[in-house]
Amino acid sequence: MSSPSSPRKVHLVGSRIRELRKGRHLTQTELSEKIGVAQSDLSRMEQGEYKVGLDTLFKILQVFDLKMSEFFGETDRPVDPDSRELVADFENLSEEARREVRDFVRFKRQQQDEPAPAPAEIEELPPKETS
Amino acid sequence: MDGYEARPAVNERRKHLEFLRKTAREAIWSGDYERALTLYDDGLGLARSWKDRDLEDLFTCNRATTLIEMDRQDFDLARLKEIVLRNPASFNGVLAAYVSANAHEARGEFSRARFYAQSALARSRDLGLEELTGSSLNLLAGLELHEGRFEVARDLFAEAVARFDAEGETLSRPAAVATDNLGYCHIALDDVDTGLPLVERSLALLHDLGARQAMDYPSLDLCFAHVKCARFDAAEERGLQALALGQEFGREDVIKNAHYLLAEAYSEMGREAEADVQYDALAGYYPDFPALKHYLRQVSLMGMINLRA
Repeated sequence: MSSPSSPRKVHLVGSRIRELRKGRHLTQTELSEKIGVAQSDLSRMEQGEYKVGLDTLFKILQVFDLKMSEFFGETDRPVDPDSRELVADFENLSEEARREVRDFVRFKRQQQDEPAPAPAEIEELPPKETS
Repeated sequence: MDGYEARPAVNERRKHLEFLRKTAREAIWSGDYERALTLYDDGLGLARSWKDRDLEDLFTCNRATTLIEMDRQDFDLARLKEIVLRNPASFNGVLAAYVSANAHEARGEFSRARFYAQSALARSRDLGLEELTGSSLNLLAGLELHEGRFEVARDLFAEAVARFDAEGETLSRPAAVATDNLGYCHIALDDVDTGLPLVERSLALLHDLGARQAMDYPSLDLCFAHVKCARFDAAEERGLQALALGQEFGREDVIKNAHYLLAEAYSEMGREAEADVQYDALAGYYPDFPALKHYLRQVSLMGMINLRA
């Protein structure tokens, strides 16, 4: 069975190929020429309706020639297993569920950007005057 | 009088050539292609010397099939087409169309392969040649599978298996191959419960028939199914079996897929050192892609892989 220490992998799926292609400003025709498949097949691949052999899959990875962090949709930071798992789970969600997750993440970031006063600051306030 | 005396001689010749064919077919299924080729060459030479056109055509088709199995292209495809045109409504004509389809498939000419496979299917149906009908359906389904049309392929494989069943050929080698293909389609379509028993049945039958050279894909398919179901110990056993068979019969596609699936299984089991051995072996086939191992350690291709493409 799966070891808890073994990192979960990101699954290559059609929607990710589409994102990567667009990120590279490649049209379907351009990418299909690079990997040697028909444009109609690439279109089916991006829609998750087409499975291909290892040779073609490796060509796709090679064409994108990614840093792994870029593959996982991040910037330059190294990817930890939790983030990878999160990305994998996210990719399996419906569009509506993804929107909700994005909204929630935005909400959490706003909370983070506007922190409540720190305890040290509270202590520095002048004591209340008593009448 | 001459005709009366000649008939037994013709029958004897035919019996002798039929024996050669049967022996050659057995050699093919056990993986001894060189012996099969020698037998077909002998038969072809005899048929020519006896000026028996039918048998010459038959041995021409059988010899070409053997060379295709050996990944060789040194046969005359135009000669096969000539047989198709000369005998459109005969067994040899249908067989030549079927072999032509196989030849085009081996060359990566898939639309031509489909044309000849459809022709072989239509004519074998017309002539009531059930085994060739089943084989043509299996070939057409394989072409669909190569194009990633799993549902269409599954239905055609099911029809092929039904044809073999109807002919009482359930226990034959072509039926076992079609059954494995059908099982693989179910597995790839995430219906492992339906697909796994079909592939297991096919593998057991091929083993009993001594058809070692046809056991590589069923072993690979079982490995694939077990990885999908997170039964990694079973996946390891089948993957190693597929790898050994692929190496024995020089099937590069089987070897590469087996390395990949074994690496996935080991990686999921946390046996990283063994996974690395498999990744390294696979990466060795792609020297222009030095980062391949790095990617495969972090990206799973299980959801997009087609073992028949």
